[in-house]
Amino acid sequence: MRKLFVYIILISTVLSAFATKLLFWVAPNALQEAFWKSIVAEYKNVRPDVEIAVEVIPAAASSEEAILTALAAGRAPDFSENIFIGFAAQLADIGAISSFDEFGQDFWKLIEARNMKRIIESWKINGKYYVFPIYSNPMLFWWRGDLLKELGYDRPPRTYSEIYGISKKFTIPNERYGAQIIAGRNWWDRWFDFIMYYYASSNGKQYIDTARRRAVYNDDHGVKVATFIYEMFKNNYTAVDLGSNPFYMGKILGKVTGPWEINWALETFPKVMEHVWVSPPPVPDDFPKDAPIYTFADTKGLVIYSHSKNKKAVFEFISWVFSRVESDKKWIEITRMPPAREDLGTNPAFEEYMKDKFFKAYAQAVGYAVPPAPIDKTIDVQMTMTNHLIEPLMYLKSDVKSAIDKSIREVNKILF
Amino acid sequence: MPKTLKRKELRFGLEMIGIYLGYTAIFWGYPFLWMLVLTFSRWNFVGKIRFVGLENFQRIFFDSTFWRIFLNTLNFLAYLIPMTLVTSLLYALALGKVRYLRSFVVFGFLVANVSSGVAYSIMFSNLFASNGPVNRIVYALFGTTIPWFSHPQLAVFSICLMITWKFVGYYGLIIYAGLQAIPQSVIEAAKIEGADNKTIFTRIVLPLLNPSLVTVSILVTTLTFGIFTEPYMITGGGPMQRTLTPLIYMYDTAFRRINPSYATVVALVTALISFGLVMLIRRLFEKEVSFE
Repeated sequence: MRKLFVYIILISTVLSAFATKLLFWVAPNALQEAFWKSIVAEYKNVRPDVEIAVEVIPAAASSEEAILTALAAGRAPDFSENIFIGFAAQLADIGAISSFDEFGQDFWKLIEARNMKRIIESWKINGKYYVFPIYSNPMLFWWRGDLLKELGYDRPPRTYSEIYGISKKFTIPNERYGAQIIAGRNWWDRWFDFIMYYYASSNGKQYIDTARRRAVYNDDHGVKVATFIYEMFKNNYTAVDLGSNPFYMGKILGKVTGPWEINWALETFPKVMEHVWVSPPPVPDDFPKDAPIYTFADTKGLVIYSHSKNKKAVFEFISWVFSRVESDKKWIEITRMPPAREDLGTNPAFEEYMKDKFFKAYAQAVGYAVPPAPIDKTIDVQMTMTNHLIEPLMYLKSDVKSAIDKSIREVNKILF
Repeated sequence: MPKTLKRKELRFGLEMIGIYLGYTAIFWGYPFLWMLVLTFSRWNFVGKIRFVGLENFQRIFFDSTFWRIFLNTLNFLAYLIPMTLVTSLLYALALGKVRYLRSFVVFGFLVANVSSGVAYSIMFSNLFASNGPVNRIVYALFGTTIPWFSHPQLAVFSICLMITWKFVGYYGLIIYAGLQAIPQSVIEAAKIEGADNKTIFTRIVLPLLNPSLVTVSILVTTLTFGIFTEPYMITGGGPMQRTLTPLIYMYDTAFRRINPSYATVVALVTALISFGLVMLIRRLFEKEVSFE
């Protein structure tokens, strides 16, 4: 018995000495950390020769800052999650991450196994795939069903004219408004307003031509979206400042949000949530009636850093995790966020989660949720959109055409 | 003095200043040298540094955002200097009249100074929200609301209100110390000569408070160039870029645009402008004060 014990100790010492050691940084979020720790513990049984240390991305103002500081100091991990496509494009531009194309057919087998062929196409950066998307949070509109019923409606509004209609009935200036149309004035807010409306109107067409590095939203769709925003402000159907929690306070009928708000809202405003209707973003009046509506995807994924000496081991781990449907089920159970796969609504494995009306609405939209344009100048482009397009429309300082033309000129200067 | 004792003393002296020198070399010297390297190069956190000469400095002259921020800073100063000087002076004068629990009053005002920027930014944004308590009162009284954070000029003013609230306790103490330093004999002599309270305040107290007032003005100036949390949390630099500050721009440039070299140049030029302004204030307003 004693001999056996000595052998076990000896073998495990030898194994750990020769084990492949990987450092994995995960999002600073208790739920995601719990998910990855449990997955890595399972993987240890499958591959005892691979040791994965799971660490939360160090405390900083943002994950991006922490990762860049670590890269500069030579302390970056082998791979990390919580990467949005704009940051991935910047990392790819400076050669800090390596592309999944290196793994050839094995990568495509994984894409097929996870049912994400269409999703992965929108993650292409300069013709290559640098990110493996984990989850996709489609942005959807929430409507106050109780208040809409009082106004005589039995379904959420779908088109711009329908929103004008409900807003006209509901709005009392300085007291309550039709809907929150603009998400805010930070650069990232453009994802949740103009870009989302543009995707909805154009069936997911990109607002930036990444190959030519030109902004292309000065088309019919862009004009319609900008006109919608302008009309909402001009007619006082919305306001620049709507106060805190206006949706739950009954100050607005609708607003856009992601699945991360579900649990908080259910706990904080359970009575309001009983009457919430979820719908895709509004579309122009001439949008085909039965066509699916695209939206913006707040989506993040995994990247492998170029300096890692064990890229193959990292890919094997990623492959093991995401080729198993159990991992995505566990992800949903722990985080309540839809995995980036196209079969959430059709795969029987996910049937049990579809009983939740909120999760179901978000899960069904995943296949039509498009991430932002894969450009390395995301912040500057979206700040310019804020300054030259959104704010002039909000403050009625410019007409629609001038605002679009001016913002296109300024964005193109940045992209050039 | 024997040679060995001299050597011992020298060694002791070196050991004593060595700690300070080591600290300065690591936390001041090294970052300073690194800053100089960054300003003349292009670096993106990864890979090698490329020397680009004066390119970063040339760029800043044509950077409209940087000059917008410079104007914003002057705008902030135009509100902050009078607001903090007047409120701190009133606070100091009021403190002089407090007979009981003076330490408690001082402590109460200083709590604002040590409170978390993030916490009070959230508190103020809720307080001044269009359906927040302040606007509800305004609406009940006048039938309208005030766009505290959504009007370009009002947003600057609202942030200045928050900063004034935070620093009035601290700056007030500086002015209070200045008031205490004015000899009572000077005031009494003026009274004997027939000067009324207004004359005593404008002709004697205010001129003798010059060092305290200039100190507060300089502190406010340097503080203004370092505003970050309030606009970052509440306005995101808007509306119309009016609350964008040097620190937000530096942070975004370094960590979001992945351009630490240009961010360093922005920091350096901002520091030089701030230093220049402080020197200007001193030259224009600083007077030598004597109580003799």
